[in-house]
Amino acid sequence: MKEELEKNPQSTISSSQVFFIHVCCALALAAGFWVAHHVYSLNLVFDPTKTLCLIWAIEFPVVILLFSCCRQKPEKCSYFTAIARGLLGLPVGALLNALGALALGAPVGLQYLEKTVNWSLLMSSFTFVPTACVYGSSWTDWHRIFACTKPNGPLEFMLCLPAHGAVIGAWFGAWPMPLDWERPWQDWPICVSYGAMAGYVVGMVGSFGLALKMHAGRKQLKAE
Amino acid sequence: MWGWWRFGKWTVLIMFLHIIAILIFTKGFLLTRTELPHSSHCSDLSQSPCHSSPSSSSCWTKPAVDRLIIIVLDALRFDFVAPSSFFEEKQPWMDKLKVLQRMASENPSSAKIFKAIADPPTTSLQRLKGLTTGALPTFIDVGNSFGAPAIVEDNFINQLIQNGKRVVMMGDDTWTQLFPNHFNKSYPYPSFNVKDLNTVDNGCIEHLLPSLYQQDWDVLIAHFLGVDHAGHIHGVDSTPMIEKLEQYNAVLEKVIKELQNQSGPGKLHENSLLLVMGDHGQTLNGDHGGGSPEEVETSIFAMSFKDLPSLPSEFDSSSCEPSKNICISSIPQLDFAVTVSSLLGVPFPFGSIGRVNPELYALAVCTWNLDDDKTWNNQDQTKLEEWLQNYANVLCINSWQVKRYIDVYSASSVIGFSSEDLFRISDLYSKADENWSYTKNLSSYKNGSSNTSLPVLKRQIVAYSNFLSYVAELARSKWTEFNLKMMGTGIGIMLLSLYCHTLAIKKLNKSYGVSLLSSRDSGISFGLMLTFFMVLIRAGSLLSNSYILKEGKAANFLLATTGIMTLRYSFMKNKMLIEVSAAIFLLLTFIFRIAIEVGLYKQAATSQFMSSSSSWMLGISISQSLWTYMAEIMPILALIVLGYFLYKSISSCCWGIPKYVIMGTILCYFLVALHWISESNILDLAHFLKGFGKNCIPRTVYAITLVQLSLLAIVPMFCKEETSNCRGSLFVKMMSILSACSSTIIILQGKQGALVALGSLLAGYCMMRLQGIEQHTVSGTAGISILDPLPVLQWSLLAVCLLFASGHWCAFDGLRYGAAFVGFDEFILIPQAILLTIDTFGFSHILSVFGLPLFVAFPSSFNQTEHKSLFPIKLFWIFMVYGLITAITAAATILCVTIQRRHLMVWGLFAPKFVFDVVGLILTDLLIFVASIYYFNGLEDRIGNAELRRLW
Repeated sequence: MKEELEKNPQSTISSSQVFFIHVCCALALAAGFWVAHHVYSLNLVFDPTKTLCLIWAIEFPVVILLFSCCRQKPEKCSYFTAIARGLLGLPVGALLNALGALALGAPVGLQYLEKTVNWSLLMSSFTFVPTACVYGSSWTDWHRIFACTKPNGPLEFMLCLPAHGAVIGAWFGAWPMPLDWERPWQDWPICVSYGAMAGYVVGMVGSFGLALKMHAGRKQLKAE
Repeated sequence: MWGWWRFGKWTVLIMFLHIIAILIFTKGFLLTRTELPHSSHCSDLSQSPCHSSPSSSSCWTKPAVDRLIIIVLDALRFDFVAPSSFFEEKQPWMDKLKVLQRMASENPSSAKIFKAIADPPTTSLQRLKGLTTGALPTFIDVGNSFGAPAIVEDNFINQLIQNGKRVVMMGDDTWTQLFPNHFNKSYPYPSFNVKDLNTVDNGCIEHLLPSLYQQDWDVLIAHFLGVDHAGHIHGVDSTPMIEKLEQYNAVLEKVIKELQNQSGPGKLHENSLLLVMGDHGQTLNGDHGGGSPEEVETSIFAMSFKDLPSLPSEFDSSSCEPSKNICISSIPQLDFAVTVSSLLGVPFPFGSIGRVNPELYALAVCTWNLDDDKTWNNQDQTKLEEWLQNYANVLCINSWQVKRYIDVYSASSVIGFSSEDLFRISDLYSKADENWSYTKNLSSYKNGSSNTSLPVLKRQIVAYSNFLSYVAELARSKWTEFNLKMMGTGIGIMLLSLYCHTLAIKKLNKSYGVSLLSSRDSGISFGLMLTFFMVLIRAGSLLSNSYILKEGKAANFLLATTGIMTLRYSFMKNKMLIEVSAAIFLLLTFIFRIAIEVGLYKQAATSQFMSSSSSWMLGISISQSLWTYMAEIMPILALIVLGYFLYKSISSCCWGIPKYVIMGTILCYFLVALHWISESNILDLAHFLKGFGKNCIPRTVYAITLVQLSLLAIVPMFCKEETSNCRGSLFVKMMSILSACSSTIIILQGKQGALVALGSLLAGYCMMRLQGIEQHTVSGTAGISILDPLPVLQWSLLAVCLLFASGHWCAFDGLRYGAAFVGFDEFILIPQAILLTIDTFGFSHILSVFGLPLFVAFPSSFNQTEHKSLFPIKLFWIFMVYGLITAITAAATILCVTIQRRHLMVWGLFAPKFVFDVVGLILTDLLIFVASIYYFNGLEDRIGNAELRRLW
């Protein structure tokens, strides 16, 4: 499968590839939950730190391996360089996500440190790592995708939509936190993680839909 | 001035609409009652048509019990006491207070369980007030003393003290707050720590049993809090609750046993009455405050220690459970104060509107003239007649006292009863009274004619009861029920004002030559959408009590979101400078958030609604070292330096007055720093300053501020300065008024004030930079800058954050009463109310509104090409948008309060929030009005009226 992806390394990728990558990411997410629940009998609500740790540990290798196949300018940049970029992107993205969360009101304090770190690593593998693998440190591309939100082509939508989905989902996920229902899932970062994952999945579905649409459009163009 | 009116008429119109809407709504929602300072005296009875009691030792009524033991179990639900067979289903928390049920079934004539119906608001403080005064405390009792909740109205504790009874209190320290100097002995325990289930109770138990043997009291009050706290923390259906109830059962068993042992003739408790009662109920979650049946239904268990005859069935309201031989009657809590007063033989509290309850009254031994040989069975009829005669006389006194209260109240209160109601009251009373003179005469030569006198007495009692229940009903409708029609009208007018507001803004847009929606740049309509979205979310969040509790954090969350948006936007525009200021802005929101959390933490310590959240702040114990003093003094020094730079820059270019104003401010800052140093005693300055008196510095600061403000207000009217650059002059004007106001606000806010001032200054600067460049980039193509509401929204969110960051919250215990005494030692109402207002709304309203021109007045603005005549329109537009955002929030609060009017927390959270928002809205309107006159005066001369006229 890896070879197959490497055969057409240009920036446009087919909708089946988009589908494949997204399904793999979603499956990795599900696998993370499954392993946590059945192997370690952990639960996001009762032990958020370990569960989040397990989920991102399963999610991010999959993300790095898959997205490194779609790296730009493959002639200049080997597969392993892309993986290294992804590995480097993980802590940087985590730092940015953590800072954002702290600015928005994530609790400060030593007892929350582990949770915040694990959450931001997960967020980083949703948002930052894929783009780091594909574009590396190309400022113009980052700028186009994240600052201007003007992605073009299915690949960029594949990077842009799930990342934005995860951030917006996390933002909405924070709203139940102050309510006085006194449910254990209202604690930081449980509902925020749920929101982020939901947003991520919605973003992936949207990105796949757009890829299909663009593909159909291109076919139509060719036919004409 | 004429030019100002063209824009300013809208502000006036909107302010007018807001005031009307709020007045009408408030009249329907916030029920108010005037507290009267009068109290009843023994000698008053001569004015009444009733018998005064024959013996000289007694006062209004003949004392019926010698000693009274009141055991208050906080938040005692009715089903804790009543047998489970009264309910459909037996729950785990029922039948735990077995001793009460056993007593009630073994001696049905001397022990009785009552269902006591409380009146909302069912919070402990209001209930204790209601229990002791016999009135209906409302949310705002006008005449409430400033800060301290001590009861000023006449109450039965007060009557006890005045008539030489000795009162002992133990338990909840709310009693000592309400009655600071009344108790002979008191053992108060702190009540605010909800998580502590035992301190208060153990203290009570420790003192209760030994006290029973002592002779140095007439009335004993023991207030247990454990059940209330267990409910708040664990809920009703929980093990701690059941353990608490079982503990109480054991304690009560001991108490009753002791009392029974001591109840023989000549012993200590021969003639005692035991009352075990709740002040209010609670829901299954342990909440209380509202008016749901679970919360208002509590219980009173009354027991005397002798066998007594039972009442005729007309006066017996009890419903019985034949299998268990328990009867339960019902009594409004309103009746408690007057019944207890009549039993103890003290005058009834002046403001009481309750009725002496016959069943509770009949439980006291001495109301039945019993002979020692206990042969009352034989002469049942005459005994009963005697009792009824006595009771009718008590009711006569009771009715006369209530009538007197109603008359005095309607004469002295602004919002009294309607004349129809008063007429009906007088009618009922005079009818009852007419009968009374007949009954009295009949009874005076009755001897033997019991067959005729019994029905007459009963009729008489019914007549008085009718009168009293009518008054109570009327008072309830006046003091505890909402007027929905008025609330609806208020909301309607409020919505109308919002419509006018948007209309005015549209008109301004039109004359500005730009329609927001047809803008080419998508970023702008995005800003508008974001603003709408944020305002809507904020408005919606007010519907939940949790969000009101954490409003500061929610506002900060939204502020940080807009900050992140701007950061992203500045990345989009690739401007290095703004990226930095956006980052600084985010950092500031983080700092404000910490400050808000500190504030919340403080709130948790004092507020009854915040279960204290474990906080990391606990780790930092502030040691009183030189460093902390340095940290407190540093911000003000920074402000002094900033003021100096401002002075330098202004003195180089501009006209005279601002120079002097800023000089005055710098002087004030020095004085403030000196004041704090002298307060903290690090240097031996305090000694040095004693000569001046510690009130001298604050008063000087107030005086300087007043002089500065009057200079700024008056001088421009007489001398017109000629400057071509209206942005520059506007900036100078803004800085001078901000600096003039700031010194007073900072000294009132205390040491955090300078820090908050510095923070808000920096935040304002960042926003200005962000806004300026945004304008620049957009107008590069369009030629005119486009009106973007997002910065205004940010500014108003920042204002909300500042309110919370400076240690306030939207509750009356969130007011910093200490601020009212900066510079004053004794209490003078008007100046201190003003000081308190300035302290509360200083940063969030006064400085925010005067700081609004920030967004147009930046002197090195990027587009000087903008047409000058558009300048005041833009200024006005900003004022209007700011006003609109405030008004929408306030309207949302009003709507949410209406929707949640039956919510548990309506008096605890929603109503204070409503008061804060409404006062804030009117203040904002007023300040916008003043600020627009202030800034506009002079602008129009430069631009020329002709041009303005062309525009409109």
